[in-house]
Amino acid sequence: MKQRGTPVLSDWRNITILTRYWLKGRLTRATALWLILGQGFAIIFIAFGSNIFLSFSSKFGVGTGFSEFALSLILAFILIGLLQSGFTGSGLPIRSADVDYVFTAPVRPREVFTAKIFINSLTTILFSFPPMLFLYVRLAVFNNAPLWTAVPAGLATLLFIITGLILSADVTLSLSSSLGPRMKLVRNILVFGVAAVAIIPVVFLVPGVPTWLTPISQILPSGLAADLSTRVVNGAPWTAELTLESFALVAWFAASLLLGIRMSRAHFYEVVTVYDGSESGKTIGEGKTTNLLQTAGRSVWPVVRDKETVVMRRSKERRGLLVSSAFLSVFMVIYSLAGVFQSSPTSFLFILFLIGSFGSGNASGWLEKEQFWIIRTSGINIRRYVAEIFRARVTPLLLLLIPVTVLVGVPLLLGKLGQPGSLAVLLALPDALLVAAVMMGGGIYFAARYGQSSTDEILSSQAQQLTDVKLFLYQTLVNLLLVSPLMGLVLLAAQPPEFLPVSPGPLTLVLFVASVAYSYEVLRRLLNASGDWIGRRENL
Amino acid sequence: MGDISIENLTKKYDGLVALNNVSLKVGSGEIVGLIGPNGAGKSTLMKIVVGILKPTSGTVSVSGHDVVKEPEAAKRLIGYVPENPSLYTALTVSEFLRFVGKIRGVPDGVLESKIADSLQTFTLLDKASSLVGSLSKGMKQKLALMAATLHDPDVLILDEPLTALDPKTQAFVHGWISSQGRNGKTVLLSTHNLEIVQDYATRIIIIDKGVVIATGGLESLRRLADARGDARLDEVFLKLTEDS
Repeated sequence: MKQRGTPVLSDWRNITILTRYWLKGRLTRATALWLILGQGFAIIFIAFGSNIFLSFSSKFGVGTGFSEFALSLILAFILIGLLQSGFTGSGLPIRSADVDYVFTAPVRPREVFTAKIFINSLTTILFSFPPMLFLYVRLAVFNNAPLWTAVPAGLATLLFIITGLILSADVTLSLSSSLGPRMKLVRNILVFGVAAVAIIPVVFLVPGVPTWLTPISQILPSGLAADLSTRVVNGAPWTAELTLESFALVAWFAASLLLGIRMSRAHFYEVVTVYDGSESGKTIGEGKTTNLLQTAGRSVWPVVRDKETVVMRRSKERRGLLVSSAFLSVFMVIYSLAGVFQSSPTSFLFILFLIGSFGSGNASGWLEKEQFWIIRTSGINIRRYVAEIFRARVTPLLLLLIPVTVLVGVPLLLGKLGQPGSLAVLLALPDALLVAAVMMGGGIYFAARYGQSSTDEILSSQAQQLTDVKLFLYQTLVNLLLVSPLMGLVLLAAQPPEFLPVSPGPLTLVLFVASVAYSYEVLRRLLNASGDWIGRRENL
Repeated sequence: MGDISIENLTKKYDGLVALNNVSLKVGSGEIVGLIGPNGAGKSTLMKIVVGILKPTSGTVSVSGHDVVKEPEAAKRLIGYVPENPSLYTALTVSEFLRFVGKIRGVPDGVLESKIADSLQTFTLLDKASSLVGSLSKGMKQKLALMAATLHDPDVLILDEPLTALDPKTQAFVHGWISSQGRNGKTVLLSTHNLEIVQDYATRIIIIDKGVVIATGGLESLRRLADARGDARLDEVFLKLTEDS
């Protein structure tokens, strides 16, 4: 309670202290390394992505309007995602240390809110601006516009993302009980209205849709930022309309910030979701559930596989896999339609590695949920156990990736068979599945040898982050080496016929058999070694 | 019935000696309380017996089966509950028990009835279809005890089974451990709750800095510590560990 004559820290001083405290906690050496790595990957991804996009728009003779449509749609999905996370209470990311030390300190909620917005904006700028700038430089070069136009274009998109984050926080704050039922209804209508308007650009995929619908989506920050960014980077002259759009975007930012500060005057801590990096009961649901694991009349190994499948299903890993493969399908089909597949053998390698990363990442999900003390004290064959876990995890992955390869492969084979490079594509498609499997095997090996299960002693978070970064780099390198023979075989098949020792058809078959044999042997060795490492682990 | 025999057991971690030339025997049907200060080597000793850790030197056998040379045969005879049992939170209680029963080789014909009996004994029948992740700490501890006994082991290794339990659950676990002894099971129990050791253990082993410093019944420990005839175990324990 404030008392006359008692020195009270000003709002801004508290905000500065909190921002400095969070900044110091977040920007560790490991985070800085992640930042550089992440931006490197993002720039590589954008380089490939923008090439596909530009090939696609050139091939189909679409220009500025298409760029604006595409960006508007992407930003709309980002906005919807942010609003959705706002509803789940994740609009304001809070850590357990914040709950213990910040929320119990004599700091006003609106100061915590403002400091959180500051830190989130700063992190967003650090993480997103360099790759965004790279994207707009690439587009400026393509459009023969001055390079400096990339800066205002990037800033407009950045301002949209920060506004979206604040809107997400606003939605989370509005979940507090102080909002009456009538206001909650208004809030829900508004948010769903925003989502509906945001995705208006989708309807332009339908031929004959009236063009007067276009400006409607531009009342939202996503539409405004997309229009501003694409027009600036296309070298369009600065008009009064663009000035008005800039003001409108800034107005969205200011309004959402003021609304958040206004709502955060009341205590809001009970509406936020706490992230502490551990798996909690909440993430997998509570209450009674249908029993899915049947054991009667079955041997132990199908039961082990079913256990893993049930765990993946309940921890929503399968759903995540489905969403990722849907994204990959769209990406690969566009890639294929753009004609990049046939013209550049290196693009196969990119696709192969991209698919492979699915398998590798999936393996760490196993270790986090595994309980080795139960397995190790049971007397079960650990090598076989690991092999069965791999089988349970690789099956859904392959089942999801097969339709993707068919989606890409069938149009290619129908239209392009016989042309140089098409046999390499024919080999690359099944090899992509083998790469995914081998990289999952690699992921399981790394998890078994270096990973920490939930029962392990947890290192200090900074040491853990640094270990994770080093491990990630090491694993990526080793996985790359493991799959490089498969990639090499694809490259061999892509050589012009005159450089090949036998005719391309039989050679492709031989190379396919060699790919399968290599993958089988590598997986056998990796899984056996994983089992041996699990059997030797002492940190249980 | 099972017995545990440990001879000249040493365990080193990167130069740190966790256990130093430990020799002891736990006879069939005994309830032995293993007590000692934090970091004394109790958990290390138990983890070697159940096959999670490999000894640096020395031998451990359960009913004559060397845990290093015949791990499968030894593990079949042991039920183990670690200090902080983490369980498969995404499985339901009955799925978890079925899975554990299956990997421990419990025949189909008896598994379902074993699970039903166990749920009844541990008063978790109404939680059979609940996710393990949604259970309270006490319920999870009960579930770990159920999983440890599903295959009807001769030897139970219980590492701090009472940690963080409410008084009611503690009383239940006390009674359950006592009943295991009456049923002829061999129990090696590590705990900081000296009351339960004094009340239920047939023999007490005190370990400190990786060395067994005393073993015997309460009377012999009192004599060893030169304590009063009515001294409680906690007094005897403090005296013996101070001296060591």
